[in-house]
Amino acid sequence: MKNALLWVPRLAAAAILLTVGYAKLTASPPEVALFLELGMEPQGRIIIGVVEFTAGALLLSPQAATGALLAVAVMCGAIIAHVTVIGIDLRHSWLLLTVLTSALIVMYVRRADLPLVGRTFGRGTRSVP
Amino acid sequence: MDRSMAAPTPGARSLETRISVNLDRMAKTANAAIVGALIGSALLGYYVSFYFHFATVFFLLLNALNFYWRHLQSTHTLLANFGFLAQVRYLVESVGPEFRQYLFASDVEERPFSRNERAEVYRKAKGIDSSGAFGTQREFETGCITLRHSFFPVSKDELHPFRLTFGEERGLDTAFTIERPVIVSAMSFGALGSNAVRALARGAAKAGVPLNTGEGGHPKYPLMEKADLIFQMGTAKFGVRDADGRLDDAKLEALAATERVKMVEIKFSQGAKPGKGGLLPAEKISEEISELRGVPMGIDVVSPPRHPECSDTASTVSFIRRVQEVAGLPVGVKFCLGRDVELRALLREMKTQGVFPDYITVDGAEGGTGAAPKSFMDGLGLPVFESVPAVDSMLIEEGIRPKLKLLASGKLIDARRQLIAMSLGADACLTARGFMLALGCIQALQCNQNTCPVGITTHDPHLQRGLDIEAKSVRVANYVNGLSHDHQEMLAALGRCSAKELSPDNLYVRGIRKDTGSR
Repeated sequence: MKNALLWVPRLAAAAILLTVGYAKLTASPPEVALFLELGMEPQGRIIIGVVEFTAGALLLSPQAATGALLAVAVMCGAIIAHVTVIGIDLRHSWLLLTVLTSALIVMYVRRADLPLVGRTFGRGTRSVP
Repeated sequence: MDRSMAAPTPGARSLETRISVNLDRMAKTANAAIVGALIGSALLGYYVSFYFHFATVFFLLLNALNFYWRHLQSTHTLLANFGFLAQVRYLVESVGPEFRQYLFASDVEERPFSRNERAEVYRKAKGIDSSGAFGTQREFETGCITLRHSFFPVSKDELHPFRLTFGEERGLDTAFTIERPVIVSAMSFGALGSNAVRALARGAAKAGVPLNTGEGGHPKYPLMEKADLIFQMGTAKFGVRDADGRLDDAKLEALAATERVKMVEIKFSQGAKPGKGGLLPAEKISEEISELRGVPMGIDVVSPPRHPECSDTASTVSFIRRVQEVAGLPVGVKFCLGRDVELRALLREMKTQGVFPDYITVDGAEGGTGAAPKSFMDGLGLPVFESVPAVDSMLIEEGIRPKLKLLASGKLIDARRQLIAMSLGADACLTARGFMLALGCIQALQCNQNTCPVGITTHDPHLQRGLDIEAKSVRVANYVNGLSHDHQEMLAALGRCSAKELSPDNLYVRGIRKDTGSR
């Protein structure tokens, strides 16, 4: 039951991450503009695009916990970018908060699967034998 | 006064302080340092380049985790007291077994098999020279058993070929003869993966030795190869059970009629967990295993600690007769010796009823297992070199030694141990782990976890992929050939023309200087 329900945040976060990752990797003009503003064009855009794409794919795999961790990390970076450089806008905030919340839920439920530190969380739901 | 009881001198105390790491102070510094690193990288990210925020994010998550470890959780004392640095302990600890095996354990100290013992099997399995140099590495000072050679060794040409016929005492048409004193001991499909079972069966066929199926139910995978099989029937009677877990005569009769099934073995107990039935957890019961073992899916299957048909000596002997009549094949029994008095009562009941199993396998407490409680592995049952002579002499005293064959199992992976067992009264030997090592076992000790890195005791297709059935079957056969070679060389050195001539005279046990007398 819990595993079935977890597909809701997994799918939500993965859908957004794969879309924005794809946009970054295909150099869509709004993304290029954002990364120009951050002074990271094009290397930063490509790195973040790859990380987002990986996180999205992992969220759909048995290694969802690792995907969620990557997603949380990227979203932390995005928050820093929006707060310190780009400024806050409504559309980005919605996407960002959806991914962040979903990924945090997945990470919490699957905490025992996290790489290296998972075993310190005791008896969480282990999906990977 | 004993010097060690004296209070430590001030000098010793300061030495101790100087060379030990002050973990508390180091951890405090580290915990503060990651907060500093977070602030530093955030500032660099803001003023210098946004790329520094990769570090900001890393330290942010690390700080969050560290805060949780130190203040919110209460399961791990070390993490609560020292924070993330304590993780180093868990990380290093988790790779400890590998480091010890790769680097630090000496060639003779690992258990159950030392590196020297494993390497010997590997060399046999690969068919390469196994000579060594400079002298033995065995512990010779304490509790050793060695073989006494003869002043007049025989030539290898004078050796008689090995032959042992099961069921000849009862004059069975289906009597089964082995021509090598080694049998692949019980390992079930379930404990082992399908590739491993097939490689073993194919190798056994190549080497001309029989394979005991273990309590895996219907022997689907062994039957894919050409090996002669000994069908093992455990207390749960997988493969031949009715709905209540009792023997279903029709199923046993059908199975015994299979051409490749040559003998049936009733397992009463196992050296690694005598007095305990196995447990097959619901998660491991796949559709295939459910079908082969004849058990329902979705619930744990607990093997009873004894056969429901066998509540005392009389019913046990009757059950042996029933299996002999239904199967029409040689029928053996396997047990680990517990109390002598019970076995003697059983042997006397056999004489009363005139029913004798065609062989008895005595399994030593040092025997292997796919899964058993540690307390049972360490604490129950008699070792093989104690129980084989005990059973042998009881059989002789009761006058029924000529009625049956006596086999030994339990860590008998090399020719030395096998010849010792045969000198103590066994007619032939079984080994399971010897064959696993020949298959490529690296003694990772994960047989009960479905994670065997060499694909032997796992059903994970990814892990089984590397176990090539044909290539490994060659090694299995090589191992048997290597053992045979050693048997012959050693028999010749002992001055014996066949394994039948071995007796306790051939043994020297440290501390027992006198000859133990021939049997």
